[in-house]
Amino acid sequence: MKPAHAASFTTLAVAATVGHTAWATQYLSVEQAQRALFPEATAFQPDDWQLTPDQMRAVERLAHLPARSVHWRVFAAQRGDQRLGYVILDDVVGKFELISYAVAVLPDARIKQVEILAYRESHGFEIRSAAWRRQFVGKTAGSGIEIGNGIANISGATLSCTHVTDGVRRIAAVAQVMLKK
Amino acid sequence: MKKTTLALAVLSALAVAPASALASEAELMQRINQLAAELDKVKAELAATRQKAEAVEQRQEAQAASQPAPSDPSAGAEAVAAGPATVISSYGEVNYNRPVHDASKAQADVARAVIGIEHRFDDKTHMVSEFEWEHAVASSGDAGETEVEQLYVERQFDNGMRGKAGLYLIPSGLLNTSHEPTAYYGVERNFVETAIIPSTWREAGLGLSKTLDNGLTWDLGLTTGFDLNKWDFSAESEGKASTLGSIHQEGQLARARDLAVHGALNWRGVPGLLLGGSLFTGGAGNAQSGFAANDARVTLWELHVRYNPGALDLSALYARGTISDTAALNLQNAGSATPVPSSFQGWYTQAAYRVWHSGDYTLTPFVRYEQFNTAKTFAAMPAGIANNAGPDQKVSTVGANFMIGEGVVLKADYQKFHNDSALDRVDLGFGYAF
Repeated sequence: MKPAHAASFTTLAVAATVGHTAWATQYLSVEQAQRALFPEATAFQPDDWQLTPDQMRAVERLAHLPARSVHWRVFAAQRGDQRLGYVILDDVVGKFELISYAVAVLPDARIKQVEILAYRESHGFEIRSAAWRRQFVGKTAGSGIEIGNGIANISGATLSCTHVTDGVRRIAAVAQVMLKK
Repeated sequence: MKKTTLALAVLSALAVAPASALASEAELMQRINQLAAELDKVKAELAATRQKAEAVEQRQEAQAASQPAPSDPSAGAEAVAAGPATVISSYGEVNYNRPVHDASKAQADVARAVIGIEHRFDDKTHMVSEFEWEHAVASSGDAGETEVEQLYVERQFDNGMRGKAGLYLIPSGLLNTSHEPTAYYGVERNFVETAIIPSTWREAGLGLSKTLDNGLTWDLGLTTGFDLNKWDFSAESEGKASTLGSIHQEGQLARARDLAVHGALNWRGVPGLLLGGSLFTGGAGNAQSGFAANDARVTLWELHVRYNPGALDLSALYARGTISDTAALNLQNAGSATPVPSSFQGWYTQAAYRVWHSGDYTLTPFVRYEQFNTAKTFAAMPAGIANNAGPDQKVSTVGANFMIGEGVVLKADYQKFHNDSALDRVDLGFGYAF
């Protein structure tokens, strides 16, 4: 997908979905997720990322996935003047429904932690288990963020865990492009 | 003269002064009028703006009324990120079976075509349905079936527990709740999970389940059960191929005097590992007048494990079922070709390995060995008319799944029937699921 189309697609998708409610188990609010991801932080500043067409292409090369969004919802985690890292929010479709999750990346673009904010499918709640999410820690876009290659499958929730894993890999690539200038 | 001139000048000045004062008054009036006009304009604009704002407010209030208030302000973002309320899903499979020693029995079949609709009523309540055609054509003169495979409503409670009511899949084994062709290896579903655990097994009733933070999921349910009145004692009995498959009720005017309970535990606490088991038990006689097995109870339990850490995918399952109090019924039908077994059981083990993955394509060969017996034991009968236990059927399968993306699969396998090589066959299949 070309970046311009991706942007308009995102806008359309958001516009189309406003007004619908979600079958959801909301586990964490954005604020709770921030605190879970960076417990040592004293402040979270909105720091949204806007990708240029060149950056979108770089993300696609790193993640082997469509870059999908031009705009990313990001919070910078601060401890005083020290930047601890970033919290990036995203949603992916599981089997039928959206899964909302947040990824913490360190300033060097490595994954610090993944938290599930809301899960809406009938099956596959196990992606919330800490043991499964721990597999992402310390990884980058190029170092085994793929089901069957670094991340183990969850039996009975293959699509949900595949799509979350792809989403985290895309975010790792976005972080790498935005942070390692 | 000077005086006169001065006086004139003063006079004219006096005369002019009121005149100029009058002029500026008129100007002022004009300005005031202008301002008043402008004020009217602003007032009109303000009224229009106010009207608009009220309309927006009303709309927002209406929306807020139809949506639960987010528990915290930032949660609003998630509400926006919800997908459409109604989703259509589907899966299907077209299979070709060719016995290697008797090609005259080769056949092709649109084995399954399924359409599903999921609808979310609100943030905690949704409906799941699946409608299925088996064997392409269903009519009084055809072999096909049309059936409601799932039809239930699920509600999420605040403590994370989920309750459902309707016709739903019993959480037994590895295949039953995950039965799309893209989810299992081989063209046909494995024998143990069709002959011993019926497939696709659903019952009407109520269920509760919850997934804990440690990866443990439990399920409990109260549902309809089997109806032993349906048992076919003839030589063509379906009971030979699938003990419970021949007496399942599938929510079709199901006899429900006797209800059944089930429970399942599945643990996914280690990435890639699934350990689980389930138990289902319920009366199967349904207090029918004149029926010789009204005390009969069907019980089925199984244990399963799957380990899929990466390219490797290992699984194993053991299932055993019993039907109690069948002696009188079998005695009544002494000498029949297919008496009711008192136990039936089976197990399989399977290994698959993803050998090739490029872009959208994935090739995963697999081997499976299974052993099953739909007539493992019979209730004791008087000497001379005792029923003989059936042989353990042994089947080896070797084949491969070739996935295109995550929704389309091409399958090929060879099945060796160790008890009867006339059944040995090659299978080809195509399936999809979304």
